[in-house]
Amino acid sequence: MGTSEILNKFSPEYDNMLGILHALQDNNPYNFLDDSDLEAVAEYLNTTLSHVYGVATYYTMFSVKPRGKYIIRACNSPVCNMEGSISIIDELKKVLSVDLGETTKDRLFTLELTECLGQCDIAPVMMINGKIYGNLDKEKIGSIIQQYKSK
Amino acid sequence: MKEICCYIDNKKIVTSEKMTILELARANDIYIPTLCYNPDISPSGNCRLCLVEIEGRQGQHISCMTEIEDGMKIRTDSQEITEIRRITLELIHANHTQDCTTCSSNNNCQLQEVTAYIGVNEERLNSLRRTRPLLKIDDSNPFFNLDHNKCITCGICIKTCDEVAGVNALDYGFRGFATVVSTCCDRPIKESACESCGECVVRCPVGALYIKESRLPAREIKTVCAYCGVGCNIYLGVRDNKIVSARGDRDSIVNKGRLCVKGRFGYSFVDHPERLTSPLIKSNGSFREATWDEVLDIIAEKFSKNRKEKFAALTSAKVTNEDNYVIQKFTRAVMGTNNIDHCARLCHAPTVSGLVQSFGSGAMTNSIDEFTSARTIFSIGSNTTAAHPIIGLHIKEAKRKGAKIIVANPKEIDLCRFADVYMQHYPGTDVVLLMGMMKVIVDEHLQDKTFITERCEGYDEFIESMSNYDLDTTSRITGVPAEIIKEAARVYATNTPSSLVYAMGITQHSHGTDNVLAVSNIALLTGNVGKASSGVNPLRGQNNVQGACDMGGLPNVYPGYQAVTNPEIIKKFEKAWSAELDRENGLTHTEYFTEIERGNIKVLYQVGENPVLSEADANHVKKALKKLDFFVVQDIFLTETARYADIVLPACSFAEKDGTFTNTERRVQRIRKAVNPPGDAKDDWWITCEIAKRMGARGFDYKNVTDIVEEINSLTPSYAGITYDRIEEEGLQWPCPDKNHPGTKYLHAEKFARSSGKGKLFPLLYKASVELPDKDYPLLLTTDRSLYHYHTSTMTGRVSGLKEIEESEYLRINPEDAKKMGLKEGEMVMVKSRRGQVKVKVNVNRICPAGVASLTFHFPETPTNELTICAVDPVSKIPETKVCAIKLEKA
Amino acid sequence: MARGKRITLKNYGVIDPTSIDDYIAAGGYKAARKALSCKPVEIIDEMVKSSLRGRGGAGFSTGLKKKFTSEACLRCEQKYLVCNADEGEPGTFKDRIIMENDPHRLIEGMIIAAYAIGASKGFIYIRGEYYNSIRMLQEAIANASKKGFLCEDIFGSSFTTEIEIKLGAGSYLCGEELTLLESLEGKRGYPRIKPPFPAEKGLNGFPTLVNNVETLATIPAIIEYGAQWYNEIGTENSPGTKIFTVSGDVEKPGFFELELGVTLRELIYDFAGGIKDGKKLQAVLIGGAAGTFVDETVLDTPIGFDTLKEKGAVLGSGAVIVLGEDKSIPEVTGSILEFFKHESCGKCVPCRVGMTQLVNMIHKNNTLQKRKGSLLDELVAEADYMAKTSLCPLGQSPIIPLRSLQRYFADRF
Repeated sequence: MGTSEILNKFSPEYDNMLGILHALQDNNPYNFLDDSDLEAVAEYLNTTLSHVYGVATYYTMFSVKPRGKYIIRACNSPVCNMEGSISIIDELKKVLSVDLGETTKDRLFTLELTECLGQCDIAPVMMINGKIYGNLDKEKIGSIIQQYKSK
Repeated sequence: MKEICCYIDNKKIVTSEKMTILELARANDIYIPTLCYNPDISPSGNCRLCLVEIEGRQGQHISCMTEIEDGMKIRTDSQEITEIRRITLELIHANHTQDCTTCSSNNNCQLQEVTAYIGVNEERLNSLRRTRPLLKIDDSNPFFNLDHNKCITCGICIKTCDEVAGVNALDYGFRGFATVVSTCCDRPIKESACESCGECVVRCPVGALYIKESRLPAREIKTVCAYCGVGCNIYLGVRDNKIVSARGDRDSIVNKGRLCVKGRFGYSFVDHPERLTSPLIKSNGSFREATWDEVLDIIAEKFSKNRKEKFAALTSAKVTNEDNYVIQKFTRAVMGTNNIDHCARLCHAPTVSGLVQSFGSGAMTNSIDEFTSARTIFSIGSNTTAAHPIIGLHIKEAKRKGAKIIVANPKEIDLCRFADVYMQHYPGTDVVLLMGMMKVIVDEHLQDKTFITERCEGYDEFIESMSNYDLDTTSRITGVPAEIIKEAARVYATNTPSSLVYAMGITQHSHGTDNVLAVSNIALLTGNVGKASSGVNPLRGQNNVQGACDMGGLPNVYPGYQAVTNPEIIKKFEKAWSAELDRENGLTHTEYFTEIERGNIKVLYQVGENPVLSEADANHVKKALKKLDFFVVQDIFLTETARYADIVLPACSFAEKDGTFTNTERRVQRIRKAVNPPGDAKDDWWITCEIAKRMGARGFDYKNVTDIVEEINSLTPSYAGITYDRIEEEGLQWPCPDKNHPGTKYLHAEKFARSSGKGKLFPLLYKASVELPDKDYPLLLTTDRSLYHYHTSTMTGRVSGLKEIEESEYLRINPEDAKKMGLKEGEMVMVKSRRGQVKVKVNVNRICPAGVASLTFHFPETPTNELTICAVDPVSKIPETKVCAIKLEKA
Repeated sequence: MARGKRITLKNYGVIDPTSIDDYIAAGGYKAARKALSCKPVEIIDEMVKSSLRGRGGAGFSTGLKKKFTSEACLRCEQKYLVCNADEGEPGTFKDRIIMENDPHRLIEGMIIAAYAIGASKGFIYIRGEYYNSIRMLQEAIANASKKGFLCEDIFGSSFTTEIEIKLGAGSYLCGEELTLLESLEGKRGYPRIKPPFPAEKGLNGFPTLVNNVETLATIPAIIEYGAQWYNEIGTENSPGTKIFTVSGDVEKPGFFELELGVTLRELIYDFAGGIKDGKKLQAVLIGGAAGTFVDETVLDTPIGFDTLKEKGAVLGSGAVIVLGEDKSIPEVTGSILEFFKHESCGKCVPCRVGMTQLVNMIHKNNTLQKRKGSLLDELVAEADYMAKTSLCPLGQSPIIPLRSLQRYFADRF
């Protein structure tokens, strides 16, 4: 879907800023907001690029840099941390050969930290593109990643 | 208002105004430390330093956002407050570069100020780790730098850009500890929406935003900016005979301390190496230096042999009132002709000829500071934010206060961002648009019947002409949807007081006078003139074009618009000047070149003008100049026109002389000498007086500027009370008929200046522009203005920073037209009209509608006026610079 | 004594949450119908009488909040209802349970609340990461509209309201009501300075009522059965039930809706199955990251808004995080401070730089070469300063757990 089509689904009110940014980002195969999208939003909402960029960089779900097809959000908030999220994150780094905030060379995965996902009863938890994986241990990581690779 | 009694540190303070604790303290000289507060913007409350204690309330409260209440007892300091302020300060210092002695804000830094007041714990400060990595300084802007390492994220720059400048180029990026002030996308500030006005720089409390290579002046001189007709008051900082800084005068009612990029950073032309320093004589096709005696003798001799109809003078809208007075006196009293004119012919001549008919006076009716209290502002034919930036700020401020903004412009200019109603009408259809709006007003009974009955005449004839302007016809001819025309009309007529501003989009047409009459019609119809915050407000372009007109630099009037054909007036001036004066109107600027070509005018004396670039159908001008027997140019640089001269005389710039300028709101203001002129450059009036004296004329023995002012006062009724000493602190607005008169804020309050005392409504017919697009020349060319350059760039072209921001011309063209012609962004094209051609880059955007393209005339390498047509308005003789037909060919 | 009592989660596991017909069959939208046949002021009175307190964490009287909002600016052309579904407090997931399993209950509560204050428009501000909840709510709103529950003249009254979902995008701070409003207006999540409060000047300057999901989802029951019925549940000062979310070192982590007045012992041992792997209890963190640590001496204190205060604890969002004997309290504290640092918006210096200083301190990157007191005392001093000067509740948060640590676990540092 084109950018203007997406924009036209929202009325051009400033209040719709976050909804529009979500929609544009979801429409991008690399899950990010590129410069031209930001410019289009600025024009559509009759504001300036600096304000749109300010919003896009404030919220952690948005990215202004290209990411992978699958965004892996690993939780390291107090409960998950207590339940061993560090070792999960280390395993993810190892399996994917990336550091936090980086994307794999084949542009399939981006590894990020996220705030508490509200799934504390199954900590430690990670979310891949909206799907929750809980009660994780190091052993499970490899197979979960493999599932995505074979899609 | 009820009185509010508070106690700050046991000091009783009584006030009847609503305000915050901080404002009350400041008004009473009680210091409360702040970093994120600035009186020009809304408070943020994030520095957490202005904490105070309030009796009866727990904890500490920020004084910048807490309103005072009757009986409040406030403590601005206590052990606890000091302790927590100190810790906050230490945290700021922990991440702030500690290099005060080399910082450009040394001794002018609010962080230093609050630290001195609060104190810090040295041991703790030294041990606090610097936890933020060093960030690169953004030095992309030619005038100032942004050093993130010194930024304390107070947000003042962001709010300034939003609330003062209305540009919104800055915002915070990222969050938490990683928060930075950013433009967008890691782009340096130069590539953002930033307009380099510098308002953020002057408000930055620390050294994060600072002017490049700034030096503190040894002294400051209060004067007026030399660029546009707003007439911002500035302080030029001088050191060793050089201008090292410029800042706005916060006390000035005109600009309240604010400046645009040219007004703040545009003065390096004053000591540019290309300044003319010596008289020049052309011999064998090139110029050689000469002495003043040599050239003045030659000029006196040549002039003496070519008086009356053989002579014409072009005075200047950039020189002072006194200069203009002397030049027109010389032309009339010594050269015996009324052939004196200046560039107003090319810009606001219709304003003078139009408003004189409808109001009796051809000047801006209201004042600049009244815009912020208008409830509606209607800007038509004015790219206000580019050409009159500070008035643009006033309009933005009005908008913030709830005013409705109506914009009518063929191009989607920057002001449209703030428009509540935008009418994109086809160039040259202003009469139709305005009359169409008036028909809506009349049909819906929204006109001000009382005003029309009591204060106007000509209503019936005017109403008759309405029948041509039904909504469908209006919409069809102008291209503006009917609903939008209706909305604009309703808002302007009912959401009053409504203020109308206009500029070249109205005047530079072959029917310019009609356009101006249409403007005065709509104001009269709705009673929007003769009252505060309303009126018809033509924005004069040059810094002293108003003054040049006031001083009689026009072929049909003496100083004060006294007609040259009026026997009593002639008698008065003949007596004052001891000379016989010509009783016929002289020729206009545009007629000069035709008469020169015909061989009737043999000698031209030109001061501070550049017609080779500024006159429509410039090739015609160039041809004419070659035909002159004798051509004298007096200027500060060797302009494109000066190259055609036989003698070139070096003159002083505005920074090198005393005198007065009159800005667009009729305010006569003092300019003052700040530096010495380079080489042998002289005051313009001195030069003209010398020529006159050598020709044996009397009455040119002025010792200094004040002598001239006195003479002006005695002969010019509207300036009679504007004496030199009365405008020492602040300017005065004419009419000011005597020494006790306070000046006139807005005109036509009781009656109009016409003999009947009433304003006149005019029936108008639509006259199409002379050269519209056809199959041979299918595109309409209109002209535009840039914020960064001024007129023919004689001055701005020599300020390297401005050249860096905008280096060259480009043809603005709509994507539809670009596609049709197969043109890509940045491609070079030949733009051809029936009169000339220029080569220029293409810039594809939606500013112009399809079928219309635009160029400025700021770049000598791209002489736009070789394309434009000199089809003149019959009444005012202004050429139709705004409309001609062009075709494009790939270059 | 205290029993699990399903009021807010009455329909959990009983109905198909995607079916509005199921909800109606189970008695759904009856309360809304009843409410819209009364006068708004009567609804407000009932809420005040019920003494229902906000379930988001602050615990303000819901009825009074409604009263203020409805009275604010009687001539205002617009009032708003905002449901705060930006559940971000670590250890808390009760709102997600409600939204995923009984979304219509929330909608019904919103209709009643909107009617009470005269709000013609309601928003659900939901965090962007709650994909399932968003889907459930979108469907539920569509179905409710189709049935005529969200439209003009609902149930034949002259009241009109609609609900729109607005997404958050990853910011804990946007769960604070004033910051939420900034985010709803499309801006960066910077907290506003109060006063003015949302009831007076909220969304776009209009009076706005901001309530938590659990609070709103409790309203239908109160309207249906009455304030008196509600007051008889729970305790005198803290009536009704609360959904507790238990996580950490317990056998059966999860959510439990229990009457207020239940004790931690009952919650942890009777409902959550006791400490995992038979270990001993070391500490309980109640209220999430901005909550308080308590030890076994508090296990028998009845849980309520005020009763915990005496023990230096807060109920907060109702998150109960259990630390077994082998957990390191300093490490957990470090993780809490890291969390706050990540969520700091950066607007004010005390929080922006202060949080970083706290994290540095606890990770043993000494900021002072010579430590004057213990690490915990320094942390508390810094957090205390932050609490006094910070612009918003986030900066005022670290002191809460740190102070409780000083009381109960000072020896761990």
